[in-house]
Amino acid sequence: MARVLGGIGASHAPSMEHVYDAGEETRRNEEWEPLFGPFQEVSEWLGELRPDRLVVIYNDHMDEFFLNAYPTFALGVADEYPIADEGFGARPFPPLPGDSRMGWHIARSLVADEFDPTICQELEVDHGVISPLPMVDFSEGDGQWRIPVVPLAVNVILHPLPTPRRCYKLGQALRRAILSYPEDLGVVVVGTGGLSHQLTGPRFGRVTPDWDQEFMRLLAEDPESLCDYKHEDLIKLGGTESVEVVNWLAMRGALPREAKPIVKAYYAHKIMGYGLEAFAAAQ
Amino acid sequence: MLNESTATELTEDYLARLDAVRPRDLPEDLDLFDEETATRGLRLNKAAYSLKEAEQRELFARDENAWMDQFGLTDKERELMRARDWIGLWRAGMSIYVMVKLSGVTGVPLPEIGRQMRESG
Repeated sequence: MARVLGGIGASHAPSMEHVYDAGEETRRNEEWEPLFGPFQEVSEWLGELRPDRLVVIYNDHMDEFFLNAYPTFALGVADEYPIADEGFGARPFPPLPGDSRMGWHIARSLVADEFDPTICQELEVDHGVISPLPMVDFSEGDGQWRIPVVPLAVNVILHPLPTPRRCYKLGQALRRAILSYPEDLGVVVVGTGGLSHQLTGPRFGRVTPDWDQEFMRLLAEDPESLCDYKHEDLIKLGGTESVEVVNWLAMRGALPREAKPIVKAYYAHKIMGYGLEAFAAAQ
Repeated sequence: MLNESTATELTEDYLARLDAVRPRDLPEDLDLFDEETATRGLRLNKAAYSLKEAEQRELFARDENAWMDQFGLTDKERELMRARDWIGLWRAGMSIYVMVKLSGVTGVPLPEIGRQMRESG
């Protein structure tokens, strides 16, 4: 049977793509080392852990899904996921390898569990997936992704949004789906987004480091308490766009309660509170 | 037909449930992309969303008016577009995520949009 080996919470942002694409020197300069250094640690940890699959819980930014039909939850069941053109030309990565068989299994298990995602046989992934992913899973030497992914998108854009508690429970249902998969595969669950940021209105650019760090602490020590936060609370604490942290909460729901953070980094810089928190699940 | 007290109970129950998904006490300078915004902004959002396609970006660069003609924009919306009035576009219901695509074709970087946003307060 498949196992959940651990989880990663990571911010996603176009700025991270610009830094990554600028090359090793920029990634390790004084400005970006506080974020990319810890990403390197996570990459090394994954290199030792050698998971067979990543389930990536993220949100799209109107690059695949649009307002004509906006899914609350959407699950990829494809064998590859092309990189979306977000309006500037797609980044030059090969499509992410997928695992349609595991995707369909998760779809059946979630629906049997009364979670009803939109099922996607074709899905282009945007920076919600591929801004953090190269830092943990891309071999620049041979220009290939290493680990097949199953993407799971959450609506954090068009209100009404699924509640934080619902997202945590989705993660718990995802865990049941993974543990019931008949192949002996190790899975790491990734949740992307946040932390504090505000991209609209007079508060543009506001970050709130105290809250971000409290969120990361609660996520590790008392994730259920975060289920009591409403979107309204998250927006007041971290900004309108910070509600993306529900993706982290869903990731945490897929981990055992006693999972411990092994890499934890926070870097408030310019208009983003960047966070990275990797959890190991004891086997 | 529901009798009146049942209808009242159902309404109260609905309002209680709604509390979980509808932020209601936000300060005025915090926005939401919700029913009102999405309804108001659909034309503008469709227009800016189209810029995912390289052909649409080329058309925008070649003939901005012809590009706008495709989306049934109102005169006011066309004016906001032409003026690169980012606050105005936001207030007219344009989502930040498609605004970023418009930022790409107009060559106005996000920090400049941000500056306008901040100064709107």
